[in-house]
Amino acid sequence: MKELNKVRRFIYNCKKCGVCGNKVTAKVPYVCPVRQASPGFEHFYARGKIIIAQGVLEGRFPLSPDLITALYSCTLCGNCTTQCGTTDSDTGEQMVATTKIVEAMRSDVLAEHPEWVPESYRQVLRATQQYDNPWAMPRASREKWYRGLDLIDARREPADIVLFTGCTIPSSPELSERAKKAVMILNRAGIRVGVLGKDEVCCGSVQRKIGDKACADELMRRNIATLNRTGCSKVVTLCAGCYTTLHHEYKAAGTPLSATVCHIVTLLSELLKNKKLTLTRSQHRTIAYHDPCHLGRHAGIFNPPRDILRAIPSITLVERRATREHTICCGAGGGMRLFEGGRLAVAMGEQALAAARQAGAHALVTACPFCETNLAAAAQTSADPLPVFDIVDLVYDALGA
Amino acid sequence: MTKGIQDIIVALSEIVGPAYVTGDDSARFAYTMDASLFGGTDAAVVVRPGTTEEVSRILNFASKKRFPVVTRGGGASIYGQPKGRPGENILIDMTRMNNVLDLNPTSMTVKAQTGIIMGKLQHACKTAGFYIYAPFAPLHIVSLGGWMSGAAGSAGLWRDIIGVTVVLPDGTVVQTGGGPATNHNQKLFYNRNLGGPDLTGLFIGDGGSFGIKTEAVVRITPYPRVLRASIFEFDGLERVLELIERHVGRVDPHPFEPIMVFGPGAMKNFMPEFEVSTAFTVQGMMQGHTEEEIQAKQAVFNRIAEELGGVRTPMLDAMAEAMAASGSEGSDMEMDWLSLFNGLGIAAWLPFTLPREGFLDVYRKLLDWRTERLRDANQRGFKHRATWEFFAPTDASTLIGEIDAFFEPSDDPAVFAYIRDMMADFQDFAHRLGSIDVYNQGIMSNINASFWSDGYAHLFQTIKKALDPQGILNPGLWAGTTRGDKSKCR
Repeated sequence: MKELNKVRRFIYNCKKCGVCGNKVTAKVPYVCPVRQASPGFEHFYARGKIIIAQGVLEGRFPLSPDLITALYSCTLCGNCTTQCGTTDSDTGEQMVATTKIVEAMRSDVLAEHPEWVPESYRQVLRATQQYDNPWAMPRASREKWYRGLDLIDARREPADIVLFTGCTIPSSPELSERAKKAVMILNRAGIRVGVLGKDEVCCGSVQRKIGDKACADELMRRNIATLNRTGCSKVVTLCAGCYTTLHHEYKAAGTPLSATVCHIVTLLSELLKNKKLTLTRSQHRTIAYHDPCHLGRHAGIFNPPRDILRAIPSITLVERRATREHTICCGAGGGMRLFEGGRLAVAMGEQALAAARQAGAHALVTACPFCETNLAAAAQTSADPLPVFDIVDLVYDALGA
Repeated sequence: MTKGIQDIIVALSEIVGPAYVTGDDSARFAYTMDASLFGGTDAAVVVRPGTTEEVSRILNFASKKRFPVVTRGGGASIYGQPKGRPGENILIDMTRMNNVLDLNPTSMTVKAQTGIIMGKLQHACKTAGFYIYAPFAPLHIVSLGGWMSGAAGSAGLWRDIIGVTVVLPDGTVVQTGGGPATNHNQKLFYNRNLGGPDLTGLFIGDGGSFGIKTEAVVRITPYPRVLRASIFEFDGLERVLELIERHVGRVDPHPFEPIMVFGPGAMKNFMPEFEVSTAFTVQGMMQGHTEEEIQAKQAVFNRIAEELGGVRTPMLDAMAEAMAASGSEGSDMEMDWLSLFNGLGIAAWLPFTLPREGFLDVYRKLLDWRTERLRDANQRGFKHRATWEFFAPTDASTLIGEIDAFFEPSDDPAVFAYIRDMMADFQDFAHRLGSIDVYNQGIMSNINASFWSDGYAHLFQTIKKALDPQGILNPGLWAGTTRGDKSKCR
């Protein structure tokens, strides 16, 4: 239990009071989306997971395959930590971090008993070894989507801004359109972005969350080397998970990423503010914005996407009861789409859509391909489906391109 | 998993559906701890019923097969969960029963399932313009049922519980109090006592040992438009007690007009700008529906406090304003007082309930006991980081409070063991001085029971035996019948 020992202070700082599973306020309809969508036993939310972790550390709970449900039924969204809010009264430091505890336990179990980890997760790790991405996408796919676009091959020419596409977007034709639109929007603002083609490898977020720290570290090392070689000053991500990984982990690495990192919503919001882009066209829509956990709660980026949406004519932005730092995960976080066939993930997505309908929204907009995929999957199973968009699509449409 | 356990799971699955029963190791283990240092319940099976009928069928099954049953709400007790028979218990997790069933603004009542956490219930009431008087319930932690079973009874806080739906150990469903269940001709009675004994009261503070409460009807009060606080510092406790006497002589602490006393240095734990001082801080809270009403109330409170030598400072005034804002109509009810302490280290919770008359003498003895114990702790190398003293009247004649201490490091099992002993020893000492306590669960019920009079113990055991002849419900609770024998409590 090497990794678990490293986070023992978070385990023992937890007072097991249960706020992480039970708080309800005007802005918090519930805390844990997994507890809400599952049968709801204690091990489905933070307190139970921390109690199990403490039992493991103290040798009171023997490791067994039975642990897997508790370990992998977590979106790692961190709302439990936000709602707990326990900070040291002297230093102000955060005292409990469930995500770190769960990640550490996953890492230890994967290292010591890989055969217990569900096959769907192990498949992702094998795909990463083979293809440098979790979805077994041929490396060449990373270069297909941008053919014919006005951009720079940053491996060969200097590029001040590099677009880090991530793995999920080029993995499907529909999501690839998103990347194309992003490039064309930036072109309209006078920006030619660079790309890394097949030299870009997975950011490592998914592997780290499954528990393969070594694999994630190796991917990070390769991407940092590639990006630093380009000499770019800014890396723009389209995926919220990539953003958090590059912004937090790559910047804190032994040899850190030298460029600054921003998500596309921050860049677009700046371009709108500086009048480099003007949005003129739109359909009349009442929409709600879903804050991806990686972008909102984990990185504090709440206003830029809302500024963009308010700049689109004819759009009315409404807020769900749980919004901004209280936003409840769409269900795709922490590898939940790989857990038990994604059943719980879709159920959580349905909850997110229901909350949007309740707020009077006719569509839900997000800024993360993981959120979009899961919310769209949930919409497909719904009797009253709600359209799901990525914010880039709306900006592109509003440009009148 | 043994065949016997599998048989229980099959039987319970037929009642609640297979998703809501588990015998998995990790699921069961997660219930072995709670908010206390005294542990949760070692269960063979955990079940999450959704309705009164399901609870009734579970108890009927358990009663016929003589399986021990332990109930759990929010897992918020600071003196531990009932232990039942470790490894054999059917643990009923009540938190799936978390719905508001009816909110009646005309009769000013709310009916809810008892697994609901108080924060959710208060939010529903506030949305309709009402609140429930439960100032000492940790808002986001404790369940309605847990609060009724534990703290509500002894503190005398819950005259607003009008009736409960309770499932007796053999599965019989009973509704107490007013309403259609107790008066065939008038369904709009919302009165706890309909001319006979107070059967609702029987199930308040019982630790869940007489039956499982599944629903409750509770009085609600219109949310006040105006909330104001005044905070004064006093050098000595005598004048503080005099202020309380004059306050409760003038205002029944219910409805919500609390007066709270904080010990020297207590505030500094949460507000570093406070200097360490020897003064006691007294906070009076006033609610009203008009500005005139609140001004009049505040003027009276301030005049009495000033007459008794209380001092206001700009910092205290600013704090009073912040306190009022945190509880005002526009606030989000974020604050949970128990979780506020999470940042201070491992808590030795040292609560007491004492008569107001003669309070000072006993209170000083309790403080001396703590001083001695902290000295002992420091000699053994256990570092106490902070202390906290608080008390408040819960009615005209009773004061409820605590003199807690917080220790670190939080990952040393020896610290945990020391604190557990300290808490149990404190309760033994405080009970010998006449304190009772309001946490009627876990070890506290046994400590309380060990100080009962013979007649009281006889009556309690007679009722228990009549309602639960098999002794299946929360076995081991209220077992401390040997007076002063605290070994029963560990």
